[in-house]
Order: sequence, then structure tokens, then C-alpha cells
Amino acid sequence: MASLPGLNDSLHPADLGVDLNEPKHVSITAGSEWRVDVPQESKLTIKVHSGVAEIFGTELASDVPYVFQGTKFAVYAVEDAEFEWTSPELTSHSISSDTNMKFIYNVHFALEKLRVSSFEGPRVLIVGESCTGKTSLAKTLCAYAIKFKAHQPMMVNLNPQECIYSPPGCLTATPISDVIDVSSSTWGQSMTSGATKLHNKQPIVKSFGLEQISENKERYVSTFQQLANAVRGRVQNDSTVRRSGLIIDTPPLGQLSDDFSELKEIIYQFKVNAVVVCAKDDTLALKLNEHLPVETLAIVRLPTSSGVVQTDDVYKRALQRNAIREYFYGDFNTVLSPYTIGVDSDMITVWQPKSVLVQSDSQDDLLPVEINASNLQHALVAISYASRRSSSEEVSASPILGFALIMDVNDTKRKLRVLLPVPGLLPDKAMILTAYRYLE
Amino acid sequence: MECDKIAKDFASILDELTCNSKPIISTLTKMAEENIGCAQQMVDAIERRIERCVPNQKLYAFYVLDSICKNAGSPYTIYFSRNLAQLYKRTYLIVDNQTRSDLIKMFKTWLMPSSSSMGDHLFGKEALDAIERFLVKASALHQKHVAAPTVPGLLREIDKLSLLTRERAAQNPHDAKLKTKVVVLQQLKQELQREKMPPQALQQVQMQLRQIFAQEQQVLQQQHQQQQLQHQHQQQRLPRKALSTPPPQAPGATPAPRESEPVSLFGTPSLSSSFFPNASNIQPPTSEPSQKASKVQALYDTLRAEGLVKPVPQQSVVTLDRILSQNHKESAQTTLPPLNLLKDILGDVQSHFSTVGVDILNTPNLQLCQQTVIQDNPTVMQLRHLLYRYKPNKCSTCGKRFGSSEEEKKQERDHLDWHFRINKRIKGTAGANGATAKNIQSRNWYLDDTQWQRFNDEEIVSTTRSETDSVTLANLDASTASSSFSTSKFDAKSAPEKTEADLAKKYVTVPETHEDMSFQCPICREVQSAVYNDDIGEWIWPNCIQSQGKYFHSTCFHEAVEETPQQALNQGLERLKGLAG
Repeated sequence: MASLPGLNDSLHPADLGVDLNEPKHVSITAGSEWRVDVPQESKLTIKVHSGVAEIFGTELASDVPYVFQGTKFAVYAVEDAEFEWTSPELTSHSISSDTNMKFIYNVHFALEKLRVSSFEGPRVLIVGESCTGKTSLAKTLCAYAIKFKAHQPMMVNLNPQECIYSPPGCLTATPISDVIDVSSSTWGQSMTSGATKLHNKQPIVKSFGLEQISENKERYVSTFQQLANAVRGRVQNDSTVRRSGLIIDTPPLGQLSDDFSELKEIIYQFKVNAVVVCAKDDTLALKLNEHLPVETLAIVRLPTSSGVVQTDDVYKRALQRNAIREYFYGDFNTVLSPYTIGVDSDMITVWQPKSVLVQSDSQDDLLPVEINASNLQHALVAISYASRRSSSEEVSASPILGFALIMDVNDTKRKLRVLLPVPGLLPDKAMILTAYRYLE
Repeated sequence: MECDKIAKDFASILDELTCNSKPIISTLTKMAEENIGCAQQMVDAIERRIERCVPNQKLYAFYVLDSICKNAGSPYTIYFSRNLAQLYKRTYLIVDNQTRSDLIKMFKTWLMPSSSSMGDHLFGKEALDAIERFLVKASALHQKHVAAPTVPGLLREIDKLSLLTRERAAQNPHDAKLKTKVVVLQQLKQELQREKMPPQALQQVQMQLRQIFAQEQQVLQQQHQQQQLQHQHQQQRLPRKALSTPPPQAPGATPAPRESEPVSLFGTPSLSSSFFPNASNIQPPTSEPSQKASKVQALYDTLRAEGLVKPVPQQSVVTLDRILSQNHKESAQTTLPPLNLLKDILGDVQSHFSTVGVDILNTPNLQLCQQTVIQDNPTVMQLRHLLYRYKPNKCSTCGKRFGSSEEEKKQERDHLDWHFRINKRIKGTAGANGATAKNIQSRNWYLDDTQWQRFNDEEIVSTTRSETDSVTLANLDASTASSSFSTSKFDAKSAPEKTEADLAKKYVTVPETHEDMSFQCPICREVQSAVYNDDIGEWIWPNCIQSQGKYFHSTCFHEAVEETPQQALNQGLERLKGLAG
């Protein structure tokens, strides 16, 4: 692959690439996929000329350029497809016919049958170790679910390191009511105040705020319990979502307890009735069969695709950074205008989730944070619906209004500069510090 | 019904377009921009106008098409793309040269990537390609008609002609005329090379040359025919001797003497007639060979009538060759549609047949269990089509698919209109004050749990909502959310403090006396339908207030009242009442 003309040509600056690079043509036969890794600083444009091609279940429009940045993905050819791609420096790409799409179709149509045969759609939990294709499967199943009938499956993300319609550190639930944005690493935009190319999504967001689940498993559990409460209410009110069911993505099993206690709680809270195990062999599925309440569950194993990529921390961090930037500033299709304000440091109240990494004797889940540069500089904070003078418990139980970025803390003047997504005053609300920092 | 009226108005204005009138064109464009819902009707009207009006007015209708597509863009561009090539071609063929060049000028602007369609061409590539191909051919013809003769070109013609004449002279060494002809041609050539002639003179020379050439050609043709006839005679004499009875005629085989290929100066023979408009007027020279030829022809006809000359039988090589050469010509002329289109059609047909009558509910082997997931399931391979070509109409912007039922077609239209509106908003629209309102936007706050649980995504994905419809926004003051539901009566004095979100929460319970479940806001003219409120167990009109027996959107009402100074409030109310009436 590296011998393709232009690939190793690093003379061209990345942002001029589109003009400088000749489009290259690829044709993939039905059933194969084109796997590609677009580096963070690079850009890839794809234009489908003929055939039917999709990215994680979302079909690409013909002759429309799709732009990708800092992402790894595959274009799957449902029918023989021809497309052109342009990129100044694409590190690797390959075509493979060794996919697990056949099995995914099997799973999808089994779920679709459940959707049409009952008012209560399937509630699917996707589990597996890290890098086994869980999120890709969730995305594909969501994309397929909206294609045939006007279903709106609820996508539930329980992996705080993933960013699905939210910045990192969150657990979210989002009815997938329209096409997923294949170019966006966060699946698309959550609601904005103006016009966007595709329909936005309206997620409910719960901030876990820590990087590792193991730092505070109780908080993780209580966070997804809150999410489950919200989801229950929505499913009750919204017959379309109820009929379409839930698709729940989970953190890698290695991050959860060995006795599957969190999984059991998830299954209980979300009334899960199907588990899809992403694994190379049957070991995990057999083990889950022993530990989970199989009388109310269908447990199936989905063979892993040869296309799953081993993602490292650097890649994950980059995606999380992108998600924070997208939350405030949007992407190249949708430019958002955030708003910077100056506030006195005694005008804000910040709490911090307890973590095993930080010594504390308090029984509370949230600990007060002293307002200074070392604590807050460049920090992403969640703004809760609870007022500034609320107690730790109240803040803990409160919904999330959104996020703010502490751009700058001036300890001597006791002033902060805060980036808000929405223009206006700083809401007089309690904030919760997250483990994520963002420096522009 | 409203659409019909608009379309009628549109068509009647269009009929007035008998000259290149800018005001009319811009009026029509504006109508088209404002009534996207009636796009199809207007497109029909313009297409009809172009088809039916007198040729010298067709261009102006095309200007309307052009203006609408450039200003309003999609969906007009999409609708027009369908028949554009046909329409353009037909128009081009019947208009005069000036109009043609205007048409070409207009076409050239279409080839520029337009700003309105995000760098793409204004119309579909296929339509533009078809027109371009057509124009290339047409202008090639055109140019040959009018191209001024050049000296080198004439020299070449003379050379060819001399060659032909010399050839003939060699065959008939006694023909003195031919010899002089060769000499004259030679002289003409020298003249041309030596002197610079005015274009008119050159044209005259060309005309004469062509006349001579035509004559020459005719002579050659006759000679050729003659030779062929003699040849046939010789051929047929032999078998006739061997046979005692005339052979049965092959049924259906028409005896036709093979046409000789005419020799042409300018390549293809079929074109030569158009290059020699006077050729038909030239009388064949009554020279000896032609008289001989006609005698021979007469002889042949008599022989054939007597059944003495056998027509070329069907199995003969001559017939075969004729058929082959005909077939060859035909197959070269039929150009197949692009391969991709054929593949698409094939795919649609395949998927139609594999999904016809399919019902997931009654399909066996679809239960969620390990066996089903890992097996090769032929049923699933069939069902797969439901995700793709089962809905054959793919949105060219986002790839979403739509089926071919009436309902789905309507959805598709709404969807396309939605893309159109959104694109327009993203581009930014020129406001009334001339300033361009850019699509400046920011992230919204997330809804709280209660709001989110009540939220329905129909609010987002509905393609028929208007910009002014209220949107659910996060209610920062969550504690007062329930209390604001209690008032429905509008109080103008406390209004200035109210935020739009608060105003939008006002509602009116649908009165039992009201015969339908919707009201039309007299200010924005939007029709608001009732929604069921779970909390109070009543049908309500959201974002609604009642004033003096009329129902208004509370946001509209508030805006209208706010514009009026406090002291003139009553006046304002009067004005609103007037509106309502």
C-alpha cells in the first residue's frame, strides 16, 4: 500500500491536500470492505461513484464528498462499489473480504422480527473485551434499525470513555431518529440552535466525570442508574422508542468487576432481554451463561471481524479531545459559536467526584473543589441543574445542563474565564469537575 | 389547493413573458423561491411554456428556468434536471441562430460550479453531459455550414478534384473536356496560391468547385452502377444456361441493385448532401455514359419483369454482406446507457423480486439464538434488500432511502424540501433590511430528565415543521416549570420580563365549541394543531393565547405587542384584531 503514488509524498501541507492530490479510485466487490486509518492531522475525502456502500450501517449518498479526520473506519460494499478518495497522507488502507457482516445481518433481522412482533422492542446489551467491535456493532445495529421501518432505537452508551453525542466522561442515551453522521466521531451533533445538514439528536447526558470506572465504581453504578431512570420514563412516554428497543454499548469487561455485578445491575436497570457477546471464541459467552439470569435473556456470540483495530490510548485521547472541541465549536459542517465570559472565583461552586486516586475521608460521592488554577485550569466541567447552594447529594442526583470549559484561572485577581456553549450569563448552578482537560 | 392557485398565477404571468423582461423574470423567480411547496407545479408550468410557446419566446422561458435554478436552487434544479436535456435540444433545433448562441451562452453558465449547490453543477451531470454532447455535434454541423473557405482548404479540394478528373481522363483518354478540366483546375490552383482573394471570391470559387465535384461524383456513380450491372449479367448468364426452368424466387427477397458508395470529399457520405445544398439542382450532364446507363437500366428492368434476371437470392454472399453491413451500422449507432445505470436497474429489479411478499413477522429462522446468528441464512440474504434497494429512491444529499409508495414519495418530497430549506438557512438568507442573516448557532443546553422524557424526536425529524414552530429548549429554571403552566391569560404589563421560553409555554385548552382541533395564528398565518397534555388530561393548543375571542401564538402576539409602545398598546390590539378579521 505504501507504494501508491503520492502516499509517501510529505511535501504537501495537509490543509492544501485536497487540491494537491489527485483522487484515487477504488472498487470493492460486494461483501468486502475498505479499511482505512486517517491520522489525526490528516484528512480523507470519499466520494462514492456507483454501487451501494455503507459505513457502519449508514449508506453513503452517491457523488457527495464525505470528509474524515483522525479516525479509523471501514467502507463496506453491499454491492460492488466504486469510489474515489483523496487524502494528502493516508497511512494505511486495505481491502478485505473477511468481515462479520453476515452475522450482523443475522442479528439485525432477529432484532427486527422482535420489533415488529411486540410493542416492547428488544433491549440489547453488547458486551466484550476492549477492541472487539462493540461500538461499531452498536452503531451498525442502530443504523439498520432506522432503515426499513420508522424505528427510533435508543442508543445507550455506558462507556464513559466513548463520546457518543457528548463530550467524554459521560453516560448517554439518545433516540436515533435519523441518519447517523458518518463523518463525525461523536456520531453527529446534539441539539444546536440553528440549521445543521442532518437532523440533530437529543441525548440525555449523565456525567460520570472520572476517567476510569475503577476509580469509583459506586459512582459509575449510580450514574447509570440515573440514566436508566430517565430512559424508563422516556420509553414509557414514547411508543416509537419503546417499540424500537434499546441498544446498549458497555465499557470493556476488563474495566468492570469480575463477578459481573455491574453487568447484572445494568441488565436489571435497563430490563435487558438480549446480550450480544463480541468475542473471538465462546469462552466469555459460556461464562456469562453461568452468571447471568439466562431465563430472561438470550445470549448470543457474534464472531469478531478481522477488521477490528487495536486502539491505543493516544487514539482514544485524540477522539476525546475532538469530542470536547466539537461540543463547543462544532465541526467543519456545522460551526458553532461558543461564548467566553469572565467570572469572579467566588461566583462559582465546583464539586469533584470522589476517586480512589485521591485520598479522602468523606462519605460523600462529591467533594468540594477549591477554586484555583491548579485544580481548574483548562478543565472541562459539567454544569448541573442543581443550584449553587445545593448539597452534595442534590448536585449528585441532579440532571446535567451542559458543559463549560475553564479557559483560564487567575489566582491573584480571583477571576476565571469560562467558555460556555450557549451565549448568555453563567447559569447560577453547581458544577462538577471532570477528569478531562482541553487546551486549545 | 393553494398550490393550484399559485401555479395558475405563475403560469399566467409566464404567458406574459413575450419579450426579455427582467421584472417578469424576477417576479417569477421570487414566486418560485417563496413557494417551494409548489415546485413541481411551477416546473411543469415552465416546461409546458417552453414546449408550447412560439420559438422566439422560448428563450425567455428558459431564462426563467435559469434564474429560478440559480436563485432558488434545489429542488428546482433536481426537478428540471429530469427533462432539461430533451427540452434544451428540442428548443435549440427550432430557434434561430441568434437564439442558439444565447442558449449556448446560458448553457455555459450552467457548467460553472454554482455557489448555491455547494460547488456542484447547477443541474444533474447526466443532463449537462447530454446537452454538451448535443451541442458539440450541433455546433460542428453549424460551423461547417458557415465556415468561411480558406485558401489551403480550397487547395485541398482542388487537389482531390484534379485527382478524380485525372483518373477519369485516364479511363477515357479521348475525352478532351476532361483534359481541359484538369488544366483549368491546375490554373485555378496557381491563381489561388499567387493572389490574395477577398472572402466572397473565395466563397464563389468554393461553390463552383463543389458543383464540379458533384457532377464528377454523379458520373462516377453511374459508371459504377453500369459496371455492376454488367457484372451481374455476366454472373447470371451462367446459371441460367444450366437451368431449364426459372428458379423460384426467394419469398420476400427484394431485388435491389447494390447502392454504390458515393465518393465524398468530406468524409461521411450522409453529410455530403447537407454540404451541397445545390447538388439536387444540378442536372446530370447528358453525356454518353449516362445515356448508356439508362438504357442498361431499362434493359435490366425488362429482363427482370420477364423473370429472366434472377434477383440476388437470400443465401447469397451479397445479401449476407448487405445485412451484415446494415447490422453493423445499427449497432454502432445504438449507444447503451451507462453501465452503472443498468446495474442500478438490475439491482432494483432483483431486490424487488426477492422482497415481494416478504413479511419479517412470518419468516422462520429469525429468532435470536446462537444457531441463527452464526448460520448462513439464505432468508436473511433476501431480507437484506429491505435495507437498501427495497426503497429504490435514494436521497442524493444524505443517502436516506425512500420507497415508491405514494406515502413514501410524499415523504421523499418533504425530505428534499427540508434539505433545501436547511441548505438555504446554512448559506444564510438575505433579510428584509438587505443584511445577510448568517446561520450563527451554538450548542443547546441539554434537557432535564423530565423534559427529555416528554420530548418526542418528531420535533427534530419532522420535515414539515416551519422555522417559527416552537422548539423544546432546556428550562434552566426547572423549579418554576410547573407553576408557569397555571396561567393562560395574557397579561401585557408583566410581559417584558417573560422570556420566549416562558411565552411558548402558554397554552389554551381547546374550547369545546371549536369545530376543528387547530387554529390559525392571525399574525404568522401558521396553523397550529392541538396536542394532548398528559398533566391536565386535556387537548391544548401550545404556545397560544386568547385575546378578544381570537387565538394567537403567544410568542407572535408578544412580539407584535412589544413592537408597539406601551401607550399605544390598545391601538396595537386593535390592529391585531383587524388582522384576525
